[in-house]
Amino acid sequence: MLPFVLAARVLEPVLALWQRRTGHAGMIAVFLIPNMTIFGIFVIVPLVLNLLYSFTGGAEILLEQRPWVGMQQYERLLDCQNHLQPMTCREDQFWRAVHNTARFVLSQVALMVTVSMITALILNRRIAGRGLWRAVFFFPVLLSPVVVGLIWRWILQREGLLNLIVVRLGGDPVIWLNDRFWAFAAAVGVSTWAHMGFYTLILLAGLQAIPRDLYEAAEMDATPPSRVFWRITLPLLGPNLAVVLVLALIRAVQIFDEAYVLTGGGPGTATMFMTQYIYEVGFASFLRNPGLAAAASILMGGLLVVLTLIQLALSRRAERMRQR
Amino acid sequence: MGSIALRGICKSFGGIEVIHGIDLEIANGELVVFVGPSGCGKSTLLRLIAGLERPSSGLIEIDGRDVTRLGAADRGLAMVFQSYALYPHMTVRQNLSFGLENLRMPKAEIAARVAEAARMLAIGDLLERRPAQLSGGQRQRVAIGRAIVRNPTAFLLDEPLSNLDAELRGTMRAELAALHDRLGATMIYVTHDQIEAMTLADRIVVLRRGRIEQVDTPLNLYNRPANLFVAGFIGSPAMNLFRTEARGGRAVLPGGIDLPVPADGPVVLGIRPQHLHPAGPDEAGIPAELRLVEALGAETVLHGITDSGEPLVAVIDGQPAVTRGQRLRLAFDPADMHLFDAGGRRIG
Ligand SMILES: Nc1ncnc2c1ncn2[C@@H]1O[C@H](COP(=O)(O)OP(=O)(O)OP(=O)(O)O)[C@@H](O)[C@H]1O
Ligand SMILES: [Mg+2]
Repeated sequence: MLPFVLAARVLEPVLALWQRRTGHAGMIAVFLIPNMTIFGIFVIVPLVLNLLYSFTGGAEILLEQRPWVGMQQYERLLDCQNHLQPMTCREDQFWRAVHNTARFVLSQVALMVTVSMITALILNRRIAGRGLWRAVFFFPVLLSPVVVGLIWRWILQREGLLNLIVVRLGGDPVIWLNDRFWAFAAAVGVSTWAHMGFYTLILLAGLQAIPRDLYEAAEMDATPPSRVFWRITLPLLGPNLAVVLVLALIRAVQIFDEAYVLTGGGPGTATMFMTQYIYEVGFASFLRNPGLAAAASILMGGLLVVLTLIQLALSRRAERMRQR
Repeated sequence: MGSIALRGICKSFGGIEVIHGIDLEIANGELVVFVGPSGCGKSTLLRLIAGLERPSSGLIEIDGRDVTRLGAADRGLAMVFQSYALYPHMTVRQNLSFGLENLRMPKAEIAARVAEAARMLAIGDLLERRPAQLSGGQRQRVAIGRAIVRNPTAFLLDEPLSNLDAELRGTMRAELAALHDRLGATMIYVTHDQIEAMTLADRIVVLRRGRIEQVDTPLNLYNRPANLFVAGFIGSPAMNLFRTEARGGRAVLPGGIDLPVPADGPVVLGIRPQHLHPAGPDEAGIPAELRLVEALGAETVLHGITDSGEPLVAVIDGQPAVTRGQRLRLAFDPADMHLFDAGGRRIG
């Protein structure tokens, strides 16, 4: 405590003087500057650099050594005979990643919303050890994605826990992560497992915000349980559900760390997603191409901006609905 | 039909019993009001009847049929909640028809019932609005309408008017009374408000700490309270009470008032503020010093303190010329007196 007290003692007269000089507007600046400095250094500057890189070519790292190529990187990325067929594209890896990501987003978001909705509904009941269960489901959210990836690799690898069980039960071991289907399913399942606690919490908060007496009124109205869910719970949860949907969508598009640790993008390119493509083209591959990676990340960023705007609009609508 | 009987109803929450053996018979078409201090178990009792809570022991019968094990949906009762509990995302029309749709009633009949309820409650032009777009009184009407359309065996109302302002409460009270007359249905009504209880009830049930203190018509409760609690609870301002000792069939009050009482030993004498009047020159009266004079126009409320330091409240007709600090002797007709024994039970 003491250092903070001392700091406050020292700062107070300085700030007081500043306030007398500059008034209200000046104080706003004082409180914003520390945050904005950090935001600027770690977000704005890299963003601008990224944009600049996307208009340059070559393999050099330093910006001043890189030739300006205009829109060439974008043209290269988008050059396709048929965008639905990655093989027909000049950057077939990029399109493979786009396709994988799209498939991943669709299946993972659907699974995520369903699973966290069901979990929230169960946890919202008066079950024994409710607090414990909430903690259990939230715990993976606190884990580092790398830890999540490693845990599940130990479970799913050739001599992992799952195969141990399969063999014990008299089955043949499956090399889960070497199978295109299972590896993809594992990426979907593991990332859902890792994040569902967060969405469950949002939905649980929404469920608990629904007044209990509405359910009692429905009970007096002799409403069957399924109709209570579809006609009362779901509509009143709508705003929270929309927020969950879009947040899950944004997170799914950004999928990288746990999937990368789990499958490394394989087998082949079966689980290579956009972020991994950008990372490998920009930093990891033998023929690295920072300009191409930068252009790809700008495209992905644009997609995320659109999704975020939708999310903001939805949260604002949810807020308005709640105030009514 | 809608007769309701409670037999030995007890209810515990987590090991703590809050309702201790309630026996009550409610006749078809009766309007019964539950009153009592906060936390005495009025809502719990109502919710037990509704089927929203299960009794720990005892039986609930509706029209002679044991419904103790039936859920709320199967009891055929309708409830009006204090918070109204209207479905916020549905229009008024949807709110009214929701329960009927659950019964798989034909659309035409639903529409007819909704129209009839809307006409009765004068909410016809609000049917396409949402609850958030209604005033408190309008929401109240919709909540009542939602109960009416189901044509229930009995209506249960938990402090339905408590969220309204005083004026609207008066209007709605009159409307509820008219509605009860028209429908002729059994109603159980929970309230804090004495005026609501006195004006609406066929019979009032006075509850205290999960027990029934007295059940009777409003005037009988007022005229012959069965015990000190009811005496103090019904009537406003509360009855004046004097603890004294009866000897040889007589009790003496401050100011030398000597009364015949059919008891011996410690007793409590009660006299309503409305039954006190300034004593005439040769009339015995309780001397008191006035601490507060509330002139209401039609009547004046005098708050005094007796020589032995007991508070004394009198309600005098008209506008007597009295001021704060003045000493006054207050007399009453012994016939208006209430007498209670040491245990608080009425004598005579
Ligand atoms: N769900 C519950 N769990 C535990 N105790 C409860 C529950 N509901 C009511 N009680 C207790 O039961 C007692 C009666 O409560 P109840 O709500 O019936 O009182 P009330 O007469 O309606 O009061 P008020 O006039 O304030 O509405 C109270 O002591 C309350 O704390
Ligand atoms: Mg209550």
